Amino acid sequence: MYSLLIKQFLRSRISIFALILLLIMGIVAIIIGRQFLLKQKETISRITEHQQKHIERNVAAHDEMGLLLYYIKFSLINAPDKLAGLSIGQRDINPAIQSVTIRTLEGQKYDTDLANPVHLQIGNLDLGFVIIYLFPLVIIAFTFNLLSEDDESGTWKLLTVQSRSAFRFLLAKLLVRAIFIYGLLLMLMIIAAIILSLPMSTSLLAFFLISVLYIASWFTLCFWLSVFKKSSRFNVLTLLTIWVLLTILAPASINNLVSVLYPVPESLGTMVKQRDAYHEKWDMPKEVTMQRFYAHYPQFQKYGIPQDSFGWLWYYAMQQMGDDESQVQSMAMKEKILLREKTSRGIAQLLPTLHTQMHLNDLAGTSLTDYVTLLDSASSFHEKMRMFFYPKIFENAPVESVDWSKLKPEYLSPDQEIHWLDMVMPLVIFILVLGGWTFFRSSQLYSLE
Amino acid sequence: MNQIIVLLIARNFVKNTFHSKAIYGILVVLMLTVAYAAYTGWKTFKDQNRMREQFQSKARESWENNPDKHPHRMAHFGSFAFRIKHPLSVFDFGLESFTGNAVYLEAHKQNTINFSEASLSTGLLRFGEISMAMLLQIILPLVVIFLGFSAVSSDRENGTLKIILTQGGGWKEILIAKSLGLFAVVCLVLVPVMLITFALLMESSASINVECLGRYAGLLVVYHVFIAVVCITTVVVSATSSSSKNALMVLLGVWLLLAVILPRTTQAVGSYFFPTPSKIEFETAIEEDVLREGDSHNPSDPRYKHLKDSVLQAHHVESVEELPFNYSGFVMREGEKISTNIYNDHLKKLLNVYEKQNSLTKFSSFINPLTAVRNLSMALSGTDFESYKVFQDESEAYRYQLAQKMNELQMKFISNKKLGPSDKPYVIDRHHWKEVPDFKPSFVSIGTSLKHEIVSIIALLLWCAGAWIVTDRISKKLKAI
Repeated sequence: MYSLLIKQFLRSRISIFALILLLIMGIVAIIIGRQFLLKQKETISRITEHQQKHIERNVAAHDEMGLLLYYIKFSLINAPDKLAGLSIGQRDINPAIQSVTIRTLEGQKYDTDLANPVHLQIGNLDLGFVIIYLFPLVIIAFTFNLLSEDDESGTWKLLTVQSRSAFRFLLAKLLVRAIFIYGLLLMLMIIAAIILSLPMSTSLLAFFLISVLYIASWFTLCFWLSVFKKSSRFNVLTLLTIWVLLTILAPASINNLVSVLYPVPESLGTMVKQRDAYHEKWDMPKEVTMQRFYAHYPQFQKYGIPQDSFGWLWYYAMQQMGDDESQVQSMAMKEKILLREKTSRGIAQLLPTLHTQMHLNDLAGTSLTDYVTLLDSASSFHEKMRMFFYPKIFENAPVESVDWSKLKPEYLSPDQEIHWLDMVMPLVIFILVLGGWTFFRSSQLYSLE
Repeated sequence: MNQIIVLLIARNFVKNTFHSKAIYGILVVLMLTVAYAAYTGWKTFKDQNRMREQFQSKARESWENNPDKHPHRMAHFGSFAFRIKHPLSVFDFGLESFTGNAVYLEAHKQNTINFSEASLSTGLLRFGEISMAMLLQIILPLVVIFLGFSAVSSDRENGTLKIILTQGGGWKEILIAKSLGLFAVVCLVLVPVMLITFALLMESSASINVECLGRYAGLLVVYHVFIAVVCITTVVVSATSSSSKNALMVLLGVWLLLAVILPRTTQAVGSYFFPTPSKIEFETAIEEDVLREGDSHNPSDPRYKHLKDSVLQAHHVESVEELPFNYSGFVMREGEKISTNIYNDHLKKLLNVYEKQNSLTKFSSFINPLTAVRNLSMALSGTDFESYKVFQDESEAYRYQLAQKMNELQMKFISNKKLGPSDKPYVIDRHHWKEVPDFKPSFVSIGTSLKHEIVSIIALLLWCAGAWIVTDRISKKLKAI
């Protein structure tokens, strides 16, 4: 029976066409991902090279530690996981590198990358897009008339009379289509693994698993609808409406909701506050700044209160006040962003499309959370550099006293925790509920009406 | 053409459409979505603009409240520019969420425009946002397809087509009438959306100007033309297909291609072939060019040494102390001029690459009317890249004039005599701070908007002509069975 069903499936030129189109789109997406990764890699090697030259040039030009550190930028790199090539996520919006001086960090860390906003708005064509948007369309095209085509051509009645189980027959038809779709998915994953030279890792496995489950949800949905024995026309319209709802309308509505519910004025507040807090110190007695600075860093108290009209100790203490006194705004901003993230994630669990996108981004390390991690790490990185240089500046150590060649860009350690249960549960529940309903409903398949 | 027959068939089409209960459901759901889009668009517009204006005036306040200072301290104190949303952004969000909103303006340095909505959002934003424009561009055509795919084919299938044709209705009348009927039905969505937009536009700003009304009129024309083209296409496909089912399949396929697949693909291909420099490349290139021009901080730099010699010579003095103006203010003025020119050159080059990246999508308007409408709509709503560029240019121009004003104050009022380590620093009176005007963002002019979308305008006109010609041609070839 299977060979006949396969033959029947392949006889349709549209099926072959759809599969080939999907394959081409998939390969294009993988190539785009490859270009993205190459560009990031090149940027990282450039920044490494640049940092070295930049330090060398400035060290040669300035003989005062305080002045030198005014100029020098240090880089912290969040190198992309190779899976980022499959799910670019927010990585084209949010920078993966923080290049900062030891001056006020709040005035530096939110600097954006260069990006073409038209490109950002239209969105990336990555494998994630192909899986989330295009696979369901092909599944719909393959299955909307699973039963109705037999019903409409009159073979269904024959089938219910002749075959042992019409439900099994239907299931077999579905299975044939599923084999082709999953075959294609596997093929694309293998092509991706070769083109992007992906290492075999648990995150790759998880990526594949969630794609498999996502596709299964769509098969279940189509199968569920088909047992209601509606016309092909009704089925295709309904399925496409569901597709539009799940991939366009619902996510878009949620975006509007999140941005209306949680605007982030704190971001602008932080920006203004960090400037005012630092600059106003120029017009205050040095004691004010120094006392606050020593309250934060008592270990430097021994440097006392400077008397000259300008000194680097006072200067960097003032810079530090920019960060210290904008902490409230900055923390509030971070909390707001995390609240947005939490709300989005909560709602996403209900919608397979959003849920899948979120988790693909998580696995690829391209989500908003990853950016927040980079921001947090930038703070501790900044702190570390300051703690290293402060004593040298305050003591006006000679520039040669530091081994500058050792100051290379630092890397964020990748966080590879996979929350398997959170990842699979919403999709599994979706499949089980609809699958159960379908099975229950299938008893009515035999009625000739 | 027999107008009576056209009206009769059109009216009949409308009546038939309202026979099915589904239409009421579709209309209700769609109008609720429109209301949601309008409300959130309006709220975002109001909240964001209020927020940004508030911070703009707060920043101004702290600028003016500075005590007596050295002008160069003020040049570093700097200012901020906050982007203000165009009233029509309520209708079409365009690139709004993907462009930066606030920038810190200081001497010597062009900061990035930060805090775009996208940078504060989860990956969900990439699924898109719901605006009234988006509903008209993406969802309404789908509704047209749902309502019109069987407009002619069902008449053919149940035999009424033959009756109409034998009773004096020609093919041309049928096609026009059905399109008209379909158009009339979807106007039930189109017209309210446009009315809501108009009401919100009136509400949004006290000073509604001709420019705004012109933009609105443009939108009105663009969307009516677009939806008309969609209606005609749907009816033509319905008439030429062998069955309603085939018509539906073809139309849905075309919709998916034009609405979902093509825009992303053309943009991806455009970006693939015109790669942009990374930020580090961009900054390094500028840094190198600036250094080539000379380092104003390095006293032995040949360029600045030469500059100094010529200045001294021109004023017939021996040392900078004798100059009638502050020399370091003068050097910084020169440095700012040079580095700003270099930066602007590089930025221009970068923007040209963006333009190239977008060109493929732009020219795809000739095969995709949706892209033409998308681009035109954004341009008319003041939410396209050109609108953003105005902010980019104005904020940079403001930064430049602020820095130069401070340099000039320094030249004029600060002595050339070097201070000892415990001397009180030179300051100038605080009343000078008010001499610098506040940053006032303005919107792109409608002329610029339209000029940049000339391709889209031509494409839309061609689509219009094409729809007419095809209807005319096809009506001569069609058969009743």
